[in-house]
Amino acid sequence: MGPAVDALRQVFEESLGGGDTRIVLNLAEVSMIDSTGIGLLVRFLASTKQRGGNLKLVQPSKFAVQTLRLVGVLNLFEVFENDDAAVESFA
Amino acid sequence: MTPDSNAGRPENELSELLNIGFPANPGAIGTVADAVTETLIQLRVPEQKRLEIGLAVQEALVNAVVHGCKNDPSKQVRCRLQSDPLGRIVITVTDPGPGFSPDLLSDPKRQENIYADHGRGVYLIRQLMDEVSFERRGNEIRMWKY
Repeated sequence: MGPAVDALRQVFEESLGGGDTRIVLNLAEVSMIDSTGIGLLVRFLASTKQRGGNLKLVQPSKFAVQTLRLVGVLNLFEVFENDDAAVESFA
Repeated sequence: MTPDSNAGRPENELSELLNIGFPANPGAIGTVADAVTETLIQLRVPEQKRLEIGLAVQEALVNAVVHGCKNDPSKQVRCRLQSDPLGRIVITVTDPGPGFSPDLLSDPKRQENIYADHGRGVYLIRQLMDEVSFERRGNEIRMWKY
């Protein structure tokens, strides 16, 4: 919600605009994801996949994972323990 | 939808812990949500329950400000936090908007909605809280956590 989601949206749009479609998003500092944030994640995931890429999540909190599962979107994402593993998965 | 979600729980048995009115400005949502969380901390509500209530409250506040008031700061949203004698928490968020019928909301877990960028707020609230009802004309949400 609010500035955090707006900032992330801008980063996503700039990434896609620059041709980057293979994205790793580290959520270690994010304690909570609300429905606005979830909407942004799934929309961006769809956009990257349409371009042959992907959006992979790193270190989501237990509560963030629970929230994504509650609304039925957790299984859309690949989730990793660290950035390196997520990056290597694109190789 | 329950006509009176306080049925069996007289209003005078509820202790008021927080009662905040604020202009429907999206920038105020975080402050109010933080005040709710701070109150829950003072009540020694366990972290997991606090997170669940906090997210549900945030969703309800966003709905009130964005949908109920169309981000119009001349309109006022109210958030109340109460508890009953058993220590159960009830949060009520009221906006002056036209309300809505929650029964008309589509299921965000249906395949055609899974990549939608909106439409999960009320569903999430219902999953996170133990009892949820919409009062008045749908412009007041009452959420219980046991």
